[in-house]
Amino acid sequence: MASSPDHITCQELVEQVTEYLDGALSVEETELLEQHVNFCEGCDWYLDEMRRTIATGNRLREVHVPDKVLQPLLTAFRERRQS
Amino acid sequence: MIAYKFLRPDGTSAFTGFRWNLPEGEPGGWVDAPPDLCRSGVHACRVSDMPFWVGPTLYEVELAGEIVEGRSKLVASRARLLRRIEAWDEGLRDVYTRMCADRAHELAFSVAPPLESWDAVIEPSFPEGPALLGFVAARIAEEISGAEAYRAERASQAGWLAERLGLET
Amino acid sequence: MSQVESQTSKVSPVEEDQLSGAVVAEESDLLARLRAGDERAFEALVETHHGTMIAVARTYVRTRAVAEEVAQEAWLGVVKGIDRFEGRSSLRTWILRILVNTAMGRGGREARSVPFSSLGNEQDEPAVEADRFRPPGAAFAGHWNAYPGDWSSLPEEALLGRETLDVAKQRIEELPDAQRAVITMRDIAGCSADEVCEVLDISAVNQRVLLHRARSKVRAGLERHLDG
Repeated sequence: MASSPDHITCQELVEQVTEYLDGALSVEETELLEQHVNFCEGCDWYLDEMRRTIATGNRLREVHVPDKVLQPLLTAFRERRQS
Repeated sequence: MIAYKFLRPDGTSAFTGFRWNLPEGEPGGWVDAPPDLCRSGVHACRVSDMPFWVGPTLYEVELAGEIVEGRSKLVASRARLLRRIEAWDEGLRDVYTRMCADRAHELAFSVAPPLESWDAVIEPSFPEGPALLGFVAARIAEEISGAEAYRAERASQAGWLAERLGLET
Repeated sequence: MSQVESQTSKVSPVEEDQLSGAVVAEESDLLARLRAGDERAFEALVETHHGTMIAVARTYVRTRAVAEEVAQEAWLGVVKGIDRFEGRSSLRTWILRILVNTAMGRGGREARSVPFSSLGNEQDEPAVEADRFRPPGAAFAGHWNAYPGDWSSLPEEALLGRETLDVAKQRIEELPDAQRAVITMRDIAGCSADEVCEVLDISAVNQRVLLHRARSKVRAGLERHLDG
């Protein structure tokens, strides 16, 4: 996918970010990506935006389960003990 | 093994934010990390790798334990910072950035017709500093003469740094 | 210290290596409480996983309403099976497998055929629109025309405020079902890539493509909101 063995473009970098963050890039790909981030402020910010996007997902974890869903389940849970 | 490491002004690592124990008269404390290239371990560079990683401050680092050589970096299981390389200061960073920019202009105008659209990128990139200008110069060399020229340009940047910083290559 | 230079350690959602020991202990404690009939523990369990279950169920059935029924039914399966859970996977994986089996058991018109069989044109969707980069043939082709925003310079409130979280939630809601399921599991529930592959029975590559498309779209939505 990369157009050169020596460097990557910003457009190539944005497609590799998820693999990078998962540690799924090869050693060589990781080096080229990190070299790029070291000189490119735009991609440094992009990577930061992606990390913050993930952190935003983290903050959506608390889910309120409505009573009409929860109550029947609690009833079933209670009855399990008695059956 | 002696190698080099660029850090942010506050002594943290650019990619991980890891806060290093800085040398003050004597070496900083040892840091241990199992070396699994790229995933963990302490990253450092050889003189020839320096143009790829230039950053605000530079330290001489002693690597120990298991050391893995990557294409443009070293990864070790133990390391400590020996001393800050004071010569790499704001003044020299600017001189290096200017040298890369001048070289980039020279390359862009070394062909006929000149690479004016490439040349137009150089000065606006200047405020972003040495890492970008080094890349810009090497890319223009590559545009004219191919991948070998990119690598040769990087090698010549490393040579410039070694000489100005008094480092052995 | 093993994470000294790991590129994933900056704002990583889950520090798995550090947490795994604590998670195992916490999980066996939770399991003991559930088996002892602790209703608070069960309620917390439902609140932790219900949203993820609905997101996963929606990839297997046609409507959100049916997905909610499937989640409800799966919880009853969890209640019945809790004494038989052997701990060979995490409790979460076990619950989500029950959910997937329940969803797949819904035959007929409510079921979808093999939701993950093909990624369709997802492979070709760019993470960032092509016109944000210098065009092919130009000097420095493929580099930014104009940089994306520097979110680290924004006030904390802009990024973590209710409004921004609502934008993220809305963007996730609008994703194709498979992408929504994967991003919900990874970034909201904090599942590992392996866990997602196991629960949804997809390859590591498909998991990553779906996650990448999903995260890229959520980022783009946040960008419009924050920089717009």
